[in-house]
Amino acid sequence: MTGLLLRRFRDLIIILLVVGTMMFLIIRLVPGDPAVAILGANAQPQELANLRQALGLDGALYEQYLAWLGQVVTGNLGESITHNAPVLTVIGQHIGPTLTLAVISTAISFCIAVAITTWYAVRPRSPLARLVNQSAPLGMAIPDFWMSLILILVFALTLRWLPTSGYTSLFSDPAAAVQSLVLPVAVLVIAQSALFTLTLRESVLGELTQMYLRTARIKGLTETQVVLRHVLPNALMPILTIVGTNFAVLIGGIVIIESIFVIPGLGSLLLGAIHTRDFPLIQGITLFIALLFVAVNLLVDLSYALIDPKVRVS
Amino acid sequence: MTAGVAQQTTPRAARLPRVRRAVRRNPVLVVATAALGLIVLIVVVLPFFLPDPNATDPVNRLLPPSAGHPFGTDLYGRDVLSRLVSGGRASLGLAALITLCAATAGMLIGLISGFFRAADVVLMRIMDAWMAFPAIILATALAVALGASLWTELIALSVIFTPFVARVIRSRVLSVANRSFIDAARVSGMGRWKTLFVHVFPNVLPLALVQIIILSAAAMLIDGALSFLGLGIAPPTPTWGNMIAEGRAYMHEAAWLIIIPGLAIILCVYVLNLIGGSLRQVVDPRSRTLTELQRLRSRGRPGSRKGPARTGDTDDGHRSQPERPADAADTSHERTVSP
Repeated sequence: MTGLLLRRFRDLIIILLVVGTMMFLIIRLVPGDPAVAILGANAQPQELANLRQALGLDGALYEQYLAWLGQVVTGNLGESITHNAPVLTVIGQHIGPTLTLAVISTAISFCIAVAITTWYAVRPRSPLARLVNQSAPLGMAIPDFWMSLILILVFALTLRWLPTSGYTSLFSDPAAAVQSLVLPVAVLVIAQSALFTLTLRESVLGELTQMYLRTARIKGLTETQVVLRHVLPNALMPILTIVGTNFAVLIGGIVIIESIFVIPGLGSLLLGAIHTRDFPLIQGITLFIALLFVAVNLLVDLSYALIDPKVRVS
Repeated sequence: MTAGVAQQTTPRAARLPRVRRAVRRNPVLVVATAALGLIVLIVVVLPFFLPDPNATDPVNRLLPPSAGHPFGTDLYGRDVLSRLVSGGRASLGLAALITLCAATAGMLIGLISGFFRAADVVLMRIMDAWMAFPAIILATALAVALGASLWTELIALSVIFTPFVARVIRSRVLSVANRSFIDAARVSGMGRWKTLFVHVFPNVLPLALVQIIILSAAAMLIDGALSFLGLGIAPPTPTWGNMIAEGRAYMHEAAWLIIIPGLAIILCVYVLNLIGGSLRQVVDPRSRTLTELQRLRSRGRPGSRKGPARTGDTDDGHRSQPERPADAADTSHERTVSP
């Protein structure tokens, strides 16, 4: 267990280092002077010099890099230029909607995948199982930005059941929040549940070839009991892995969905920061997302230990 | 099945019937490949026979689909069909280019890190970090740094997709590198690099092909998203993504503006996924075992189609099922792969 944690910690540092360095270099790739790009061509020389210093653009590249590295190590991600506040504070203000979307859609997708796959394993010849077989790959082929527009067109513009955009916090006004969350979550769930279902189905099929199931059946368990007690717990591991590795894709989807549904989360913040060239904020958000990615994968690893005694022992 | 068994004496003679059998077992693969071929053909040939995709006609703007304009016209009166088809050139072409770049880079990295263990530690750590990066974010950052264009998108997406290829190839190389013919090559005095390209590479190629096809589907999706966000190819040139972005403001009055390009993306991605999936069953024995099992399960009892297993009481049908088809598929795999 400690070995696992140590390895994860090492991975965390490497990932943050690579992501951070990459963003550092990309931002230095901007042709011309970033300070001029931010303030415009008519800025005063004094202003430019101040900004350059604030951005850490003085000195040679390696000096800038070391200075930046020192800052990050001490937990200082710098000041956002457009928000006039520390980057971490700004991220904290916008993290809520993004996490809400990510957690709710993952949880729903997970439940859908488990329900469908259980049904499929027990009754492989039912019409529903066949339908799902055919439609899961289709679900993965639908671009999320297109699905959002179609759902807005149908449920918001034509039927007028739900708002086209906006966001209310779940804690301040649950009823309005649910209304505003239905469409974005539905878009995320379509793609994710298709992926989860395909993964889970494959691992369930693999598990069904195991001999211990025959023992379970000979003991007199019904097919449903066999699937629920023996097949599913053993087949859940790959889907957890997928939750972890799919996290980057999920965040990518959330960025687009936030911009379509005008949700004030990290995605909108990032796109805004990119348009206003708020470099410290861009760097901060990307580092933060990389950190989230590692955290999610750590959680996945820990849940392995929870599910599978073999991992716990070794 | 019978044809394959009859000609098993010489491996080369058995190859053709095996291919034919794979085709018969995989009608999906054949149909999907034909569909892809048709799409590519349409996209390449049809623009020569259609009106200019950028010819504006403000009088006839936002016309619904009709005989003159099968898919209607957009807000500048441009013909949506000809924009769709030439947008397909950009979207499919770019997806192909991205896939080519990412596959080449990923294959090199995967081969090297799977075969040279010293490089493995460093390369794979970097690849892991790479995968933590959402594609959209890197592409947006690059687009801002270098200006949105075809090249920035190409670079960003190739970079993003490289580790996914590299991981799959590496794991395959690891299993190939343990085979005895690799040792034989080393004993006979063949250089490491030559062994890698002469003996390992051909064994990795089929799996790489599958990975490439699945990758191109993902590339199409992300390419659509990027040009939707205005970070891909700039608007006067049509792509499916920027057609949807342009139609967005008018989607209530002119729904076809977003529906049609979206369906085009879905069709292509779906077809590519189908090809990738069914090709994987041909190449990767483990997944073939599973589909075999799946096929038998959905048919009922293995071996006897009209056996006692009826729908009413599934117990009998399920109990004896799982082991046998798996064994059968496994042995056939051994035949296929052993040199």
